[in-house]
Amino acid sequence: MLRQPLSRALALSSPARVAPLAARRYADAVPAQPEKVEVFIDDQPVHVLPGTTVLQAAAQVGVEIPRFCYHERLAVAGNCRMCLVEVEKSPKPVAACAMPVMKGMRVKTNSDLTRKAREGVMEFLLVNHPLDCPICDQGGECDLQDQSMAFGSDRSRFTDIHFSGKRAVEDKDVGPLIKTIMTRCIHCTRCIRFASEVAGVDDFGTTGRGTEMQVGTYVEKMFLSELSGNIIDLCPVGALTSKPYSFAARPWETRRIDSVDVLDPLGSNIVVATRTNEVLRILPRTNEEINEEWLSDKSRFACDGLKRQRLVTPMLKDSRGNLAPVEWEDAVVAAARALRDCPPDKLLAVAGGLADAEALVALKDLLNRLGSEHVCTEHYFPTQGAGTDLRSSYLLNTKIANVEDADFVLLIGTNTRFEAPLLNARIRKAFIHKETDVALVGPKVDLTYEYTHVGDSASIVKDFASGTSSHEVMKRLQQAKRPVVILGADQLKSEEGPALLAYTQELAHKLQENLQDKEWKVLNVLQRTASQVAALDIGYQPGVGQALAAGPKVVYLLGADSGVVTRESLPEDVTIIYQGHHGDVGASIADIVLPGAAYTEKRATYVNAEGRAQQTLVAVSPPGKAREDWKIIRALSEVLGAGLPYDTLDEVRDRLSQVSPALVAYGDVQPNNYFAQARALAQSLQKPVSGKLDVQLKQLEDFFMTDAISRASPTMAKCVQAVLKQKNSPY
Amino acid sequence: MAGALARVIRGTKTNLGIVGPLANINNVPVRFQQTQAPPTKSKYGPLADQDRIFTNLYGRHDWRLKGAMARGDWYLTKEILLKGTDWIVNEMKTSGLRGRGGAGFPTGMKWSFMNKPSDGRPKYLVVNADEGEPGTCKDREIMRHDPHKLVEGCLIAGKAMGAQAAYIYIRGEFYNEASNLQVAIAEAYQAGLIGKNACGSGYDFDVFVHRGAGAYICGEETALIESIEGKQGKPRLKPPFPADVGLFGCPTTVNNVETIAVAPTICRRGGKWFASFGRARNSGTKLFNISGHVNTPCTVEEEMSIPLKELIERHAGGVCGGWDNLLAIIPGGSSTPLIPKDVCSTVLMDFDGLVAAQTSLGTAAIIVMDKSTDIVKAIARLIMFYKHESCGQCTPCREGVSWMNKIMYRFVEGNASPKEIDMLWEISKQIEGHTICALGDGAAWPVQGLIRHFRPELERRMQVWACTHGPSMAEKLY
Amino acid sequence: MAGTGRETVRAAIRQVRPIMSTDFWEARRRALGLYKAFYRYIPYIVKYFDIPKTENDCRWKIREYFYKNACVTDIRVIDLLVLKGYMELKEITHSWSQKGHIMAYWQPTVERKPCDFICKFLTGVD
Repeated sequence: MLRQPLSRALALSSPARVAPLAARRYADAVPAQPEKVEVFIDDQPVHVLPGTTVLQAAAQVGVEIPRFCYHERLAVAGNCRMCLVEVEKSPKPVAACAMPVMKGMRVKTNSDLTRKAREGVMEFLLVNHPLDCPICDQGGECDLQDQSMAFGSDRSRFTDIHFSGKRAVEDKDVGPLIKTIMTRCIHCTRCIRFASEVAGVDDFGTTGRGTEMQVGTYVEKMFLSELSGNIIDLCPVGALTSKPYSFAARPWETRRIDSVDVLDPLGSNIVVATRTNEVLRILPRTNEEINEEWLSDKSRFACDGLKRQRLVTPMLKDSRGNLAPVEWEDAVVAAARALRDCPPDKLLAVAGGLADAEALVALKDLLNRLGSEHVCTEHYFPTQGAGTDLRSSYLLNTKIANVEDADFVLLIGTNTRFEAPLLNARIRKAFIHKETDVALVGPKVDLTYEYTHVGDSASIVKDFASGTSSHEVMKRLQQAKRPVVILGADQLKSEEGPALLAYTQELAHKLQENLQDKEWKVLNVLQRTASQVAALDIGYQPGVGQALAAGPKVVYLLGADSGVVTRESLPEDVTIIYQGHHGDVGASIADIVLPGAAYTEKRATYVNAEGRAQQTLVAVSPPGKAREDWKIIRALSEVLGAGLPYDTLDEVRDRLSQVSPALVAYGDVQPNNYFAQARALAQSLQKPVSGKLDVQLKQLEDFFMTDAISRASPTMAKCVQAVLKQKNSPY
Repeated sequence: MAGALARVIRGTKTNLGIVGPLANINNVPVRFQQTQAPPTKSKYGPLADQDRIFTNLYGRHDWRLKGAMARGDWYLTKEILLKGTDWIVNEMKTSGLRGRGGAGFPTGMKWSFMNKPSDGRPKYLVVNADEGEPGTCKDREIMRHDPHKLVEGCLIAGKAMGAQAAYIYIRGEFYNEASNLQVAIAEAYQAGLIGKNACGSGYDFDVFVHRGAGAYICGEETALIESIEGKQGKPRLKPPFPADVGLFGCPTTVNNVETIAVAPTICRRGGKWFASFGRARNSGTKLFNISGHVNTPCTVEEEMSIPLKELIERHAGGVCGGWDNLLAIIPGGSSTPLIPKDVCSTVLMDFDGLVAAQTSLGTAAIIVMDKSTDIVKAIARLIMFYKHESCGQCTPCREGVSWMNKIMYRFVEGNASPKEIDMLWEISKQIEGHTICALGDGAAWPVQGLIRHFRPELERRMQVWACTHGPSMAEKLY
Repeated sequence: MAGTGRETVRAAIRQVRPIMSTDFWEARRRALGLYKAFYRYIPYIVKYFDIPKTENDCRWKIREYFYKNACVTDIRVIDLLVLKGYMELKEITHSWSQKGHIMAYWQPTVERKPCDFICKFLTGVD
């Protein structure tokens, strides 16, 4: 039934199976394209590569053949039979999604036979499909509704509805995110194929035979994948719907705004659906280069955290030491007074994980005008050697899309499954379709694919870099034509961090020198947050340790909620000004609270881990008295007398482009090349390392609540509980 | 006398296949050359004992290796193997053997698809011993009483296609048959007839038996391959055909037990000998299973193209209550449409003849129904079987067959509207040809047969129901 | 084909029925006439309505209101605005409106829209 194992056996990875991507250059490295075949779709000639299916050929012409089970990114199943078309010289209609084209094939997609076949299949699907449209969440965006209107018959012949009725199937509990009403299932098996191929968690399958066939997990089991929400998008009917979004809205009521997700460093493209100024749900937007068509669970379901624990008014500590709500004027004046009275070298600003580039540049400009150079990010990056001066040292240089073409991947101290789920999905895609092998240096974690676990000691990296390792992975690395090395940025915060980075750079450089393909980049560093790259580009000091040790008097926290800055680590008389959107760790230690806007409420620039700048758009307005982040800082500066020279967003973006044009080149990745120089500068740092590499996110329950928005989300809390409960169950 | 002598000579000489048969024309014995076609027959009558291939069909003799060899199995197998792939395939083509599993695809052509140069993958032969078709019981006779024919057939067929191993997929319910078959295989291994250097010809060949677990759908070739691979027995899409991508992704041919079991005899006695039975393009002998309302239901090996009436009268003792008591016959296992009495009187039992009668030979499992049968209930029960056995992968079969089942059971009572007969016809046409495998066709055909030939019966029932219960609810809704 | 269509439309527009004036200069004369009428009644406004404004204030206010509509070019619109102005003048001259109505022209309770950054920020305007 499934073609995937066969394709692996025959190494059939036709370019058409992997969705075509205009900007990727490595897809063309396939030697000499075979000659195209001419096919006639409704008498229109089209030239296609041999191996494309009739359905894909028709799509090239613009003819959409209806289907339920076919999906471009999954293996072909051919079991819905909705795509049957008439082919001349064939007695039976042919499944367009599975039939490869042959020379001179004449396909009729609108003939009587085709139409009768479609009506017949539609009639059969509706025979046992419950009459749930009014109460089904998929109404309005349901493939079955649309196709039955377009291709089905106008009346029902199912007289048995009054004799034996329709089939009913029990609902299955697969977790707090996915609502299953399996009576509606049309057994297209898209969820099964997704779970087994893309998510790597082989839990879905079919039980029973014939009409009794049920899709499910057989034993009641939660679908333990960080990509589980995507089966909601895949399911063509309302069998799998979003539990948090159930009965919330109809799709025509919502307004859809394009945006970018900031809860993980990859910046997946999303669509924010809102109604009456409330974010209802978040859906993925197709971007071949970052997230294809998928979205991780945290990005999708944490949106209800945007309504809870929000800071809606500016607050000041009153005489009793409690934060009391005040007006903006008072708060801004108090903050300005604190900043003005502070000696410049005792002034510290810390940027958190969700800060946008505009706010970052405004804050740095303000502090520089006040005479302070202490602008830091929460996450550390070694400043010795090249530090953050050379951009290629802290980015994913092999872009996310190109990881798919790698033939060997080495992961050092990173659990890509939970730190960047969509990057992991790409590595898995390469693992399945292109026979890529993966090796991991770090704790043994479940990555959804098989990998060689080299060990968890940092000295392994040293051995690889110096070439003295005798591990077979060393050989594979040296022989690989397109190796990829991914280093997790978390590992760099220990004392051995600089040495580790130096060794990784050495290894990557050595591998890159020997490659035939001069355009391929080997070194990648995976940051943990969405703001880190933009902050490093703008010139923030990575890491607060040193600055905290110096004992600042005023600390300005720009959404810094990861708990790095605590009241205990600071002197007694410090004034903490917190600007952010959630009442999390940072607001609880603050003296002055200035409410900012979350990522769905402002038009802001975020730079993802590859160095690609993207912008979020305003979907809803900030709640209460919250304002956009850069505007707060600009207002502060005006009251302080050190007025920043920009009044509108465009002017801020001009300032951003002054700092670095890459920050406003939306959608592009700039090529970065200073690997040799970075390595040369880091050579002196190659000291012996002995520590163990450990990752923060090891298990699925750690994945859900990692930042202010997801910690405030009740859905994420339910997920954590459900995962813990599932771990205790015997299945 | 002369005729008897002629027959004996003919028997021995054609074993070597050198000289043509000695035939009696106008009482003058004439020896024909191999190149001329044998004289056209018009009477396809009872099969002479010398021409029987399955000589231990009823289990009266020893089925083990000794008995099998005494009956002529494993004779000159090495020479046949040494003759090579092309010779064997050519013999198959000459013999005109068509697949005995129901589809009737020419075997020689099927084996020649495996002739492509190897691209590194091994080739496999898979024998379909999942005899699931209701009414069919021929393969079990072969496997429990004459297993060595099958084993030798595997070897020869494997050689013909360059396979390195044969997998015999036997249905799980056949415990006794599987056991006999496994013993026969063990004996063959011990005697060096299969395994490394099979029969001393330098050809390595293994035979494995795989037991199924009770699914009719696993009789479909791609579902069978999936089942052997350990997955759920759900048929694959074709293309790619098993000859390109089959078992474990390697080129595979799936053949029925009977097809494989007659292969060695064809190679020994010559393809032309086999082709001398039956009409053109429907040649050879066939195992017919006759069951139902007959006096002596049995399994017989008979010549193809034998008239149905003669077959039943001669071997099954005639229909219970005489030929005139006959209502309908299902000629080829439950997947074939039934034929009424007037068609049965004249039809010949071969592929083409039955296709002309709007049915098909299938597995030649003849189910005889006399006038005491409730024909609608019988067909409804068959549809219930298909509904139960549908794998559920594709929409028309899963939903359509179940719907047809519901309608058929209402037809049994008569609780339906005459318009629903046409609706049922259309539904069956919507299933037929639109499914991944042929189970959909197999479910649609009996219904079509019933409607084609027994519409008055259906309408009569509906009238009876309407008289006693008032018009059916179905009238109002459609 | 499309060109002739456009020209017919343009011609149709030119031939629309006028309200009072038939060309721009006539409309201008009417507007100036209204201005003069208002200007001449200013002393009486100040006296009869007892408003705490000087005559100069009134003059500047009239000037401001006329300048608000300075960019109108459509003759029919100009005519209508002039007519509405005459309606208001009639209400003032006949004393149908009172002191409050006259003082309302100075819009004392209308908040100025914020124009600089800090005001916009504090009031929450985009």
